[in-house]
This record gives sequence, C-alpha cells and structure tokens, in this order.
Amino acid sequence: MSGYRFDRLKILIVDDNPHLRKLVAAILHAFGVNQIAQAANASRAWAMLRDVNPDVIILDWVMDGMSGVELAKMIRTDPGSPNPFVPIIMLTGNSLLEHVHLARDAGVNEFLAKPVSSNAILTRLLAVIEHPRPFVRTKVYFGPCRRRRRIRDEYEGPERRQPTDAGLDKKAQQETSATT
Amino acid sequence: MSAKHPIEIFMPPNMLKAKVGGRIGGVDVAALKRAEKALDELKGEFGAWINDDIARLVEARKTYQGAQNDENRYDLYRASHDLRGQAMTFGYPLAARIAASLCKLLDNNQGSAPQTLIDAHVDAIGIVVRQNMKDDSDRTARALAGELEARVGEVLSKNGEGA
Repeated sequence: MSGYRFDRLKILIVDDNPHLRKLVAAILHAFGVNQIAQAANASRAWAMLRDVNPDVIILDWVMDGMSGVELAKMIRTDPGSPNPFVPIIMLTGNSLLEHVHLARDAGVNEFLAKPVSSNAILTRLLAVIEHPRPFVRTKVYFGPCRRRRRIRDEYEGPERRQPTDAGLDKKAQQETSATT
Repeated sequence: MSAKHPIEIFMPPNMLKAKVGGRIGGVDVAALKRAEKALDELKGEFGAWINDDIARLVEARKTYQGAQNDENRYDLYRASHDLRGQAMTFGYPLAARIAASLCKLLDNNQGSAPQTLIDAHVDAIGIVVRQNMKDDSDRTARALAGELEARVGEVLSKNGEGA
C-alpha cells in the first residue's frame, strides 16, 4: 500500500476516444481516484479547467481541432490559464524521441506512450507526486524543467564508484580477495 | 547566463504531495491488482471497441477514395494512428503493427500513397481482427504484416522519403 490518498485527487482525462477515456477512468478508479472529469477534445477541456480545477491532467496528443500539445502550451502560458503549474501527463501513440521533445517543449511533465497499462499510469502518477520538476521561465518557454534529473542526484545509497584512498571500496576489496 | 536572456528556475510548492498525504512506502501492489481486475472486466468490451475503430478507419478510407485531398488524407492518418495505439491497448498487437505501417505510409509519403496499398492495410486489419489473430504467432498473418511493411518501405524509398 502506498499510503497515498488518491481519493483526494481530481483528474481530468482529455481524449477524443471514448473507449480510451473509459479505460483510463477505470484504472484511476481502481487506484482510488473518484473525482474524474472527462473532456472529448482540447477546447472543451480548456473551457472546463476553471470549474474542474484538476490536480493532474491526462492528455491525448492527436485530437480533432486543438491538439494536446497546443492545449499544454495554453495551460502553461496563456494569461487566462487558471493553473499554469498543473501536472500534465501526455498519453499518446507518438513515441518517437522527437515527439517526446515536442511534448516537453509544450510543457508536459510526463510522457506515457500507448499501449495503456495500469502500471504505466501509476508510475507516471507517482512521478508527478514524488518527483515534481522545477519550473523554468525563459523568453520562449514556461513549464517544467526539460532536463532529466541526474540519476546520481537521486541515489541515496553508498557511492561505490567513488574511489577510496586505496582505490577500491571495502566491498570491492573483499570481493577481489574472495576471487583471488 | 546573459542578462539578455534571463532564465528563472524555481520549485513551486508540492501541493499534490501535500494533498495526497504521506507515503508508507513501496509500490501499491493492491491498487495495481485492483486495476488489473478492472481491466479484465473491461476486456469483454475490447472486441466491440476495436471494431468501432476499424469502422472509423474503413469510413475514412472510403472518404479518401472519393476525394483525395489533404484533409481526407489527414483523417485517414488520424484513424490509423488512433487504431495503432488502441489496438495495442485492447490486445491486438498484430492489428497495431499493420496500422503502424499504414501510419508510416500516410505520414512520411508526401507523394500520393497508392490506393491499393492503403486498401491492403485496411483490409488486413479487418481480417486479423475478425479472425481474432491477436499476435504474430500465425505465420501467414506475420508474413502479411511483413509484406505490407516491405511495400511501404519500397514506396517511401521510391519517393525519396526514406523507409
């Protein structure tokens, strides 16, 4: 049990495919999220933002009319945006690296390539809760920091690659002696 | 950093974590099991859902056949793109593979995509779903998917788009 109160979360699912919305909603319900709003296109989602005030948005990329990337940019930079900081998880069939970069440049926090799975959704949800990215404001961009966090900064265990005075750490010395 | 292009970096308060409370630790295995159960309950609907997506693809193909313009081409691309993602999620990876090949043809080939090749993809997707060929364990279906991909590669190379 993670201990998180997912029942306190409000999540907005934006996808033009009703089946996908139903699938994602079913997964979120199973996680304990019971405040789920749905929008069938980006314009509708934009209109709903102020009233729904979601804690997280799960956003499809390719939709009729405004795309998910365009909506993400509006949420981050439009003066009328009710919450430019809301975490956005982009759910899409576009999984090439260039697509990931485009989504990041639009201000998306996490990228989730189809097929949809419960594990992938939970992982992304935990990522926006536990590892929020700092925000960056430049002349041309506002949104979560697009640089990947260095793994080393997150690692809290012993530093095994740092050479000790003897050139090897204690464990390595033991392993070396055990094999010789 | 020059003052001409200042960069401001800041960490907004983590309201989300404050809202969902502290963590006891570990992945919520129980939640994942509940989600898997929920997905299992929905699986009975996947067949109807994928058929809806195929119907949309067939309709888009028909419209494109009637008037081969950019708008109709994009609608056909959209239908194949959606089917690619949906088919994989709904447990039809072979249909997803063929839809991906069609996407590649429509997305990369700025010249005219041969109608026969478009038809072959759309018909193949219909067949593999109707025959319930979910993965590529069927040799004929696997060969068909490979053949379609090869033909798309040939068309793209011929048009200088790269395979």
